[in-house]
Amino acid sequence: MRRPPLAVILVGLFVIALGETAGAVTSQLRPQIAGYAAARIGANPQRHGLAGSAEYDTEVTARTVYAAEAGLSFFHTHAQGLGPLVIFASTVAATVVPWRRARGAVHALLALGGLFPLGYLVYAVAVVERGREAGIGIAERYVLTPLGSAAIVGLLALAVLVAAGRRRGRAA
Amino acid sequence: MTGPGAWRLPPVASLLAAVLLIAGAEVGGASLVKFRIELSRWARGTILARPAAHGLVGVRDVDERVIDEALVKFDAGLRLFHLHAEGMGLVIIATTMTAATLVRSDPVRRILIALLTVGGVGYPVGYLLWSGLIPYHGVESARAMAEWLIWIPFGGASIVAAWWLVALLGMRLIRRA
Repeated sequence: MRRPPLAVILVGLFVIALGETAGAVTSQLRPQIAGYAAARIGANPQRHGLAGSAEYDTEVTARTVYAAEAGLSFFHTHAQGLGPLVIFASTVAATVVPWRRARGAVHALLALGGLFPLGYLVYAVAVVERGREAGIGIAERYVLTPLGSAAIVGLLALAVLVAAGRRRGRAA
Repeated sequence: MTGPGAWRLPPVASLLAAVLLIAGAEVGGASLVKFRIELSRWARGTILARPAAHGLVGVRDVDERVIDEALVKFDAGLRLFHLHAEGMGLVIIATTMTAATLVRSDPVRRILIALLTVGGVGYPVGYLLWSGLIPYHGVESARAMAEWLIWIPFGGASIVAAWWLVALLGMRLIRRA
């Protein structure tokens, strides 16, 4: 099997290392993270729609802290999954796709898509800093959708190119 | 293909460990579904036999809440083993293959592969240990044991090795540029 460009391998490894570290940090510092998130929400009452009613505000804060923790958890799990995927899928592209430009495009798309889990890190920070709905919207629009689309397009293009390469091989 | 642009295989022991871990995860997932009731019944019985470890006071309303929480964590531990073992198996293959191919120094390569393999296999087993200890020692004591015996040493090894490898590859990329 041919190996993909070093930069693509580095992206996969970097994402794996980030994912492992995030898992350890969120597990060890869960109370501190929740406390920090609650403090940031309390410091931005308007963005979170806090009304000054203790019962209501506690519920809103709890929901937003939960969303931030979910973002960190998704970051961990997606990073652990997508890191190896970038390395393996780009290896398939390096080995099977015979066209240099097409191979380069697939590698670029996979490397970009490999950064998709960072969107969940943005998600976790944005829900705390910008409010739950606005934060999710920002993360989805500017990070998760573009990077996730790059991964999807890269994998679909790889599938098409593998099929096309096979057909070319048969014809030759 | 074994040319200069080809992947080198990691040691067979690393590959075997990763494959066994993935197989263990799959068996774990299947067992969770198949023996869910039996596992829950066993855990409940063990918890009831050790009231002091769980802070049970003999008041049904209070005790049921404590038992429910312990059972939820018991189940979560098994699920997390399944999830992490599936993932770490692939992480071991990807990272040891990278180390075997791109790390030039023999001793560094060997250390990295050992850390990535041992850390990667050991870490998910911590969830199995946590789950197995919950009925005997309670949620928090079991967590502390799993943390100090497995998660911190094995997870730490895996994290250190992963960043070490990132640093080596990063430097190589910079030198090349």
